[in-house]
Amino acid sequence: MQRKTSVFVETLRYGTIFLVLGFFVFPIFWMVLTSFKPEGAIMVSPPRFLFTPTLENYAHALHDKNFLFYIKNTLIISVVSTAIVVVFGSLAAYSFARYNVGDGHILFFILSTKMMPAIAVILPYFLIFRDVGKTAIGKSLHLGLDQHGALIVTYVMFNLPFAIWLLVSFFQDIPRSLEHSARLDGLSRIQVLRKVTFPLAAPGIAVTAVFTLIFCWNEFLFAYILTRKMASTVTVGVESFFTLQGILWGPVAAAATISVAPMLIFVLIMQRYMVRGLTFGAVRG
Amino acid sequence: MSSTPASSGLAATSKTKGAGLSDRWFSVLLITPAMLITLIFAILPLAQALDVSFRMGDLSRGKIGDYVGLENYRVVFADSTFWQAGWVTLKFTVVAVGLQMLLGVGIAFLLHGATFAKGLTRSLLILPLATSAAVTGLFWRYLYDTQFGVMNWILGSLGLPEPNWLGDYTIALWSVVLFDIWQWTPFVALIALAGLQALPKEPFEAAELDGASRWRILTTLTFPLLKPVLFLVLVLRTIDCVRLYDAVAVLTRGGPGTATETMTFYLYRTGLKLFRMDYASTMAVFFLYVMLVAAVFALTPLLKQFTDRAKEA
Repeated sequence: MQRKTSVFVETLRYGTIFLVLGFFVFPIFWMVLTSFKPEGAIMVSPPRFLFTPTLENYAHALHDKNFLFYIKNTLIISVVSTAIVVVFGSLAAYSFARYNVGDGHILFFILSTKMMPAIAVILPYFLIFRDVGKTAIGKSLHLGLDQHGALIVTYVMFNLPFAIWLLVSFFQDIPRSLEHSARLDGLSRIQVLRKVTFPLAAPGIAVTAVFTLIFCWNEFLFAYILTRKMASTVTVGVESFFTLQGILWGPVAAAATISVAPMLIFVLIMQRYMVRGLTFGAVRG
Repeated sequence: MSSTPASSGLAATSKTKGAGLSDRWFSVLLITPAMLITLIFAILPLAQALDVSFRMGDLSRGKIGDYVGLENYRVVFADSTFWQAGWVTLKFTVVAVGLQMLLGVGIAFLLHGATFAKGLTRSLLILPLATSAAVTGLFWRYLYDTQFGVMNWILGSLGLPEPNWLGDYTIALWSVVLFDIWQWTPFVALIALAGLQALPKEPFEAAELDGASRWRILTTLTFPLLKPVLFLVLVLRTIDCVRLYDAVAVLTRGGPGTATETMTFYLYRTGLKLFRMDYASTMAVFFLYVMLVAAVFALTPLLKQFTDRAKEA
């Protein structure tokens, strides 16, 4: 579409883009800015843009509120969940992509569980983990309420369909002939998987891992209901800044910035591959 | 589940290798871990919710009790708060998804024609998506603050009225919508943009040569070609909006009154605040049923297309 565009139209276009980006970036910018404000510059009207930056909010969040504890929980739970999802998901996705196991029906079933609203199963999960936590197996695997295992299992369940969906689309892109010739060279099926297919699918597996990690990291509902204190994650931790006296916005902003920053960095690095993940592999962005 | 042409390709060589395991069993072995987890943690909770929905389940008075037949369903369907929550959910979904689609597609067109700082704009646009609604949503309460919030400061300096964003029951729901628009419009925009960029060049060149007007190209070429992508986005966004919980939980907690109480939030309140597991389970079963029927209708074409590709490959 090579039509001549006037300077006026172009100015209008970039002006609008600037405003649009401003709207989407500003809340995050304001959050980061607030996290460095001294107490006296937060609850003031009009809002202040110039101030002497301070780290007291971070000190409050990390020291008084022990926010690192939530970070540690989140890290353990997200990383373990992601590892399990990626391993189980890759194996299953490969089976679907190459062997068409279940002739589409099993894949359909797994994908349809992605539509399940978390809230509809939250009460059963609550009751199940409450009971399982009292058994010997539950105790050894930390599957009770307010324990890491319960959230890990839940996150694995809720992220597997998405991961499989995405991974199938990546495996489908790998030419079958490569595996074929590796088989003729005498490699076993497992060796083909390990030495040919998975290395070739590594970018796709990485994208899936990043997405799963972001979903686990940002999850709130299960973390809120299945944990009380010992296994609480950052999303729940930020809620603890609600006090009877009101919300401490400075420390909230600091905690929020700490908890959001790792995912923002991930997304910036993976930006080029994100679109495909967002559409379950349907749009090859 | 007969052996398909797709699997016979690798099967031929497996015989020569003599791995001891047929392709069929190998493929089943690969999906077993994922299947086990999905079966246990999808079917078991559903069965339990269904079971509790037929029993007395007032946890504040002890354990899950006797079977009461359809009594819980009768109570829930006669409960005006339940239908009120359904109405709130419907209003939220229609307005939020509608505006997100409209704005998202608009932004996609805007960015499609732009050549300057492409990577940067996309990076900035994607940021809201990476944040947790529970965390940024909480911070939005500060933006919405009537005294110290930036929103009212901006409106005030433009000489516009300064609403009580979260406290006024006629406005609160739209404030939650605005937050959802902030977080999810980039999703629509980025995918619509990817769709625009993947459009084939030839039909557009031909239309230009024929002297077709911009409007005609847009309505007869661009949108029809974009339809599958836009439909996918629409379905995904609708599912997410119907089951919205996080934003309501941190922004308004269903209030003021019950002005922003969505189905999911009412379900949560019934089950875990009032400890009526029976009513909550009944709602969950109903909610799940509606979602499933809707999702199957909306997603069957998408999934079919997808599984068909899996068969061909």
